[in-house]
Amino acid sequence: MRGPTTVEPVPGRTDELIINMGPQHPATHGVLKVVIGVEGERITRAVPHIGFLHRNHEKIEEARTYPQIITYTDRMDYVSGLQNELPFILAVEDLLGVEVPPRAKLIRTIFFELFRIASHLVWLGTGMLDLGAITPFLYTFRDREMILEITEKTAGARMLPNYFTFGGVRRDVHPDFFKDVAHFLDFFETRLPDYYALVLDSPVFQARAVGVGVLSRERAIARGASGPVIRASGVAYDVRKAEPYDAYPELEFEVPTRPEGDVFARFWVRFKEMEESVKIIRQALEKTPKTGPYKGKVPPRVKPKPGARYRAVEISRGHLGTYVVSDGSERPLRVKHRSPSFANLQLIPDLFVGARFADAIAILSSLDPVFGEVDR
Amino acid sequence: MSLFAEVWEAVKAVGAGLGAVNKRISEPAVTEFYPYKKPEIPPVSVQFLALIQNEDGTDRCVACLQCERVCPSQVITIERKRNPEGKGFVLERFDLDFANCMHCANCVEACPVSAIVTVGAFEHAVYDINLLKADKAMLDHIGHEAKTWYSPKFGVEIRTPDGRIEKAPPEMQPGGLAELLAEGEGGEAS
Repeated sequence: MRGPTTVEPVPGRTDELIINMGPQHPATHGVLKVVIGVEGERITRAVPHIGFLHRNHEKIEEARTYPQIITYTDRMDYVSGLQNELPFILAVEDLLGVEVPPRAKLIRTIFFELFRIASHLVWLGTGMLDLGAITPFLYTFRDREMILEITEKTAGARMLPNYFTFGGVRRDVHPDFFKDVAHFLDFFETRLPDYYALVLDSPVFQARAVGVGVLSRERAIARGASGPVIRASGVAYDVRKAEPYDAYPELEFEVPTRPEGDVFARFWVRFKEMEESVKIIRQALEKTPKTGPYKGKVPPRVKPKPGARYRAVEISRGHLGTYVVSDGSERPLRVKHRSPSFANLQLIPDLFVGARFADAIAILSSLDPVFGEVDR
Repeated sequence: MSLFAEVWEAVKAVGAGLGAVNKRISEPAVTEFYPYKKPEIPPVSVQFLALIQNEDGTDRCVACLQCERVCPSQVITIERKRNPEGKGFVLERFDLDFANCMHCANCVEACPVSAIVTVGAFEHAVYDINLLKADKAMLDHIGHEAKTWYSPKFGVEIRTPDGRIEKAPPEMQPGGLAELLAEGEGGEAS
């Protein structure tokens, strides 16, 4: 069903005020504009406007060769940059029939989960900044810096490393990599209790989060929500379990869920996910051999056989899928990305209407949209 | 809950938060004093690209157009002509538009002779965007200024004070050194 595209004042109704939130509002995490009708403190109508960051990704990708496209996929969800490369690479690997060495799979998994922690730390810092707490922001960005330094040492860039490639990873990990990651995990585990004390266990935060922006299980499924948003509504859907990829079948982890579906539940699920990521990385570090192949045999010219393939991964924000149609040439016929932030953002009218205006900020930060990926 | 109980809860919460902050207050500062103390950047870090010339001043580049072909944002423009003495090609023009460069280092990965490399210089902000359109002379100059650089083929190389180019010692090398040393097997299969 197509919703209204704009909010028009209703003639004769003088108690409703129409407000623009964004596109330059600091709490919109990018360039989102929401036209909101408020009656006193209560939101009566909300219409999101997106597309300010549209960069024509999918069309550009039709004009690029397969190895070139990997660089572009990074730029979708720039907060968890490395994770975006994987669905495209998995799809092309299936079309090519490339064998990935187990060690390369494990290295990919370690980086994948490191970026999940990094992305959740950014969410925690900026989300709490929206709610008026500055301290978590300073701490989380300091912790994230360690992940970015590990990535830079191995992959050559901090946020958009362009590190995964067909058949494995581009180059072997830095000799210090395993030591650095283990050190980071030890450090991060001492930090997590502080985040609990500052955020989740704090009655000040709970007063703003519990019972706010409740998303029912049925509504979450109907709107195609994914990631922490749907898991906070009691649906244990995780692509890592549903369609395992890379090294996830060998690793043990849980999918944290919570039935309430409010802002607090979404915060709680992301906290538990960070803990699960630490567990996953510890297991993967033990299993990864120190030396060995990091890349499988890939033909010098990447020309997949004609066909189509859809592969999905669970990035920090949810189900990111890439559909690749190949016609047998060096360039794909079509690349389509199914992005989680875009689907989660559809929940704005559902969650905003009826909430108080101050809660709109809390709801938006609990959805954690990244606009590079919404608009592509 | 009465108002006083709520206020007391809030005060306790602020106290718990201050407790968490207080634990970390004696940690050393992590702020970088950037313009006064420059950070050390790992050699693989993609900051600036340069063309490396051999010790005798000839181009390493053999004008094979591989970098031009793999560049996703198509910022490299090469013109070449047949080598008048001997076989192969020589460069006539090598332009690289840093303003549009995505810093993906695909060109560095593709280069068969390690002519285009990543260097550690990272301060390239300018007032005029046209100054970022580098030609061959500028890329050669960056290469001459560089003390260390990285390319997947040869690993990290250093320029000694007397102008020779040497392979850096193993402790400076990034991952994959085992593959670099086993060059007889033709390196990686890509």
